[in-house]
Amino acid sequence: MEPNGILIYAQKDENNRIEPVVKELLTKARFLKEKLWNQRITVCVIGERINYENIINELGSYGADEVIIVSDDRLKDYNKIYYSEIFTQIAKQYPPRIILVGATVQGKDIAAYTSTKLETGLTADCTDLDIDDKSCLLVSTRPTFGGKLTADILCKTFPQMATVQQNIFKSEKTEHKATAVFNWIDIDKIENKIEVINKTTKNHSSNDISNADIIVAGGLGACRDNGFALIYELAAKLNAMVAGSREAYERGYITKSQQTGQTGKIVAPKLYIAVGISGADQHLAGIKNSGKIIAINNDKNAPIFKYADIGIIGDLFKILPEFIAEVDKDKEVKNEQ
Amino acid sequence: MLKIAVFIKQVPDTTDVKWTPNNNIDRSKMDSVLNPVDKEAIEAALRIKEQHGAKVTVITMGPKKAEDILKEAVAMGADDAFLLCDSKFAGSDTLATSKILSASIRELLPDTDIIIFGQSAADGETGQTGPCVAARLNMPCIGHVSEIVEIGDNYLIVISECEKESTTFKITLPAVICIHNYIFPPRIPRVCGYMNAQDYNYITYNMYDINIMEQDAGLKGSPTYVSKVFKCEDTRNGKVYNSDETDFQEIYKEIKKVL
Repeated sequence: MEPNGILIYAQKDENNRIEPVVKELLTKARFLKEKLWNQRITVCVIGERINYENIINELGSYGADEVIIVSDDRLKDYNKIYYSEIFTQIAKQYPPRIILVGATVQGKDIAAYTSTKLETGLTADCTDLDIDDKSCLLVSTRPTFGGKLTADILCKTFPQMATVQQNIFKSEKTEHKATAVFNWIDIDKIENKIEVINKTTKNHSSNDISNADIIVAGGLGACRDNGFALIYELAAKLNAMVAGSREAYERGYITKSQQTGQTGKIVAPKLYIAVGISGADQHLAGIKNSGKIIAINNDKNAPIFKYADIGIIGDLFKILPEFIAEVDKDKEVKNEQ
Repeated sequence: MLKIAVFIKQVPDTTDVKWTPNNNIDRSKMDSVLNPVDKEAIEAALRIKEQHGAKVTVITMGPKKAEDILKEAVAMGADDAFLLCDSKFAGSDTLATSKILSASIRELLPDTDIIIFGQSAADGETGQTGPCVAARLNMPCIGHVSEIVEIGDNYLIVISECEKESTTFKITLPAVICIHNYIFPPRIPRVCGYMNAQDYNYITYNMYDINIMEQDAGLKGSPTYVSKVFKCEDTRNGKVYNSDETDFQEIYKEIKKVL
């Protein structure tokens, strides 16, 4: 008999809040569940000994049927060796048909370890999931070849494992309640070979573009004559964050954490303004979930125009000042009102 | 002396993709190159060698042609270079690849202290092979390494870059580290390096040499398979204006709708 159920890893932040990608996975899992005759969705939470009621309710409200909790005060902070081994043991006890993990640094660590210990296949950084109508296997869609190709990947062994990129699926609540199971795992038996000596939090209020509503991004075309000064000015007027392409990063105009695209950060703002970005495939793959894309480029054949909702062909040094003036004008009207 | 193994991969040059008429990648027309971040992995190993003294062995799995990237590694300064080459290896996914690579360490370099990977390959970009090899060899693994701070008798201190923080880890050796992109700019080989690379006798190992069973490698040993490949093409077909005929007031109205 084929194994049953979907198991999801619940990544939390340092304040024990469930990461958005978990809610995105749960929302997608509800769709997969329907195609799998209502198989159970289970979420595994690992952490310190606290009251998990709110977490259980929250996971339930996104569609979890069951929440497995492994808690111990030694699990307060994420420890790769403990967390990976615990999640693997839970998956072995279960064992589910499908395992879904967010494709974060933490999630990818855990998924790689678990898939190896379970001797099963793993499809990394997926951008879509579905169930094949004939075989009822999980179809994991992922970009490959620097985002130039998309591949559908199936897995012959169970559990079928996938890590899924953040900001790809929508998360939606539902009327649902989860039951909770507290599980005990003997942590003393796990040999810890990794010790954290120091941690520096990156200042992400100023440069975490993953959660931005508006992004103004510059590319190679803006890497001259203070093009980025205009980008920063427009961004400030729109309350937007500044980002850029790989070329802009390599030329030192932005930091690595400001780089959008598949080789940088996958973003999904409501509005993405691309200035002087020609639109390499890997860049487009990282911004394609943006609400609206506006492209400004002097090359009418730039690929970005095909992917934009609004395109303006011309010199950014003429266009951006006009754009900024328009925003100013609008603000003045508002102030007068 | 410290023993370092660096796993490298030959990848198609994804900056210059050639297509067949029916939208498939035409690998035969594309150049093969040493995966860029793997070059940085070699660089990281050579820096350790220069500071602490070490023997650096580079290993790649691939066809005979993959010897080209081993030559590049020897020219940069690697001491040894192994090619894992067997027709039965072709088509290996992450699981099968990690079995083959970890078998090569077990059988050929059992006293390795540090295994270094590049963070991910330009063609597959899964970034999972390093961590999977580590899990198979029961070694700790740190990814996104941006700095090697200290090397002790049985430990290694490294800094790793994560989405929200950089963390300094102390890990027990033997261990696996994966090198973050754009941190270790690779050296350009000198003439004597190229001469060493010409003279070096590249050793090839097949599945029997590293004790791999036929059912563990290649397509047979790979649980995942590609059912469909398609060219990415999701255009929005938006309006495109020339700058002199652009009505910014109109565009700004459009923008305000989504905010």
